Amino acid sequence: MTEDWYVVAIVALLPLTAGMLVTQVNPYHALVIRGILGAVAALVYALFGAADVALTEALVGTMLSITLYAIAVRSSLMMRVGVLAPETISTSGEAEIVAVSEIDRSHPTAPVLSALRQSLGKYHMRLELVTYASPLALQAALTTKDVHTIWLTSKETLKSEPAESPASDSAPVYQLQTRVRRLYEILQGQLPPTAELVYVNPTDSSGLKKPPEMGMSDDSTETSS
Amino acid sequence: MMNAILITMILALLLPIYEAWQDDNIWQKMLAFASIATKTSILILVVAVLRDDWTIGVVGVLILSVGNAALMLLAHVLRRLNEL
Amino acid sequence: MIDALSYGLMGLGVVFWFWGTWPLLGHRSVLYKLHSLSVSDTLGSMAVIVGLLLKIPKEWPLLVLALISLAIWNTVLGYVLAYCSTEGGGND
Repeated sequence: MTEDWYVVAIVALLPLTAGMLVTQVNPYHALVIRGILGAVAALVYALFGAADVALTEALVGTMLSITLYAIAVRSSLMMRVGVLAPETISTSGEAEIVAVSEIDRSHPTAPVLSALRQSLGKYHMRLELVTYASPLALQAALTTKDVHTIWLTSKETLKSEPAESPASDSAPVYQLQTRVRRLYEILQGQLPPTAELVYVNPTDSSGLKKPPEMGMSDDSTETSS
Repeated sequence: MMNAILITMILALLLPIYEAWQDDNIWQKMLAFASIATKTSILILVVAVLRDDWTIGVVGVLILSVGNAALMLLAHVLRRLNEL
Repeated sequence: MIDALSYGLMGLGVVFWFWGTWPLLGHRSVLYKLHSLSVSDTLGSMAVIVGLLLKIPKEWPLLVLALISLAIWNTVLGYVLAYCSTEGGGND
């Protein structure tokens, strides 16, 4: 027993890395720490002579589960925003994904985009812009739950909803309509005054609703697409 | 003698673990992960030779290659993440 | 004689490990750390394995396989990590 105290030192690494894993808040950092935990666990299992368990831990626990979880986290922690395609790009009604940096140059919407990305970044979420050809296709994408939020300029909201036209001069230029209540709570008060945020009930086809009270109900509107 | 080498190896393993805990950059964490993956599999090999156990040695070699493959997959997913 | 050589190689490998891992703690760029890690960590691991090989020569196919996979994988991994970290994040 006395000559085997290096076993104790190696086994003590396991609760150490496990503690590091459970105190991690960023999901991507937690994935990397999970890989470290898997490597240490494989070492401990091999140390105790369980060669098959160590091999399974390395193959499934480390490689497979980390890769699958990385893809799952990457595709679920994301807000899809539907935008209208610029006139120069004539898409044939087919939605296509554009990089955010591409939009940055050509649009005067940079402060809104950066505020969006900053407030989403606090929750480790990403922003993905999807372009649509017409405002009609944009509304359809919102009601069919293809995107979480659509981005309209006030001209287009005037066209589709005449009653909702803002009266004052200092009216927002852009309108963001989201169908996810949690996204509405996250983004409320974070946007610059040129953009206003509206919550749209996806089950209700009548269109815009009044913004709901905070914490009124917590239905399970997660951001999974 | 072998025990002393093993203990210093465990001490060397503690350095990247501390680094992975204290650094907030994801790529620095990935570097620490790469270091730990190599070091643990070498430790498995050392233990295998110390105990003269062939099966543990085979598992050590397999983990040596598989751990690096997992690292590369994760690195590519994280790179795609930063692009969008 | 062989025993002393094998212990010496293992000790050298552990020294290389510390040498390669110590820059990881500082606040340097990723590529600087990757360089020290990939060079001296791989060399240290290979020295340890050669030391083990001298100690128990009858397991030579296994340890030679470990040497080869270590050399190839760590080189490829160094390239992949450098490519991924500079392409996406922009942190040099």
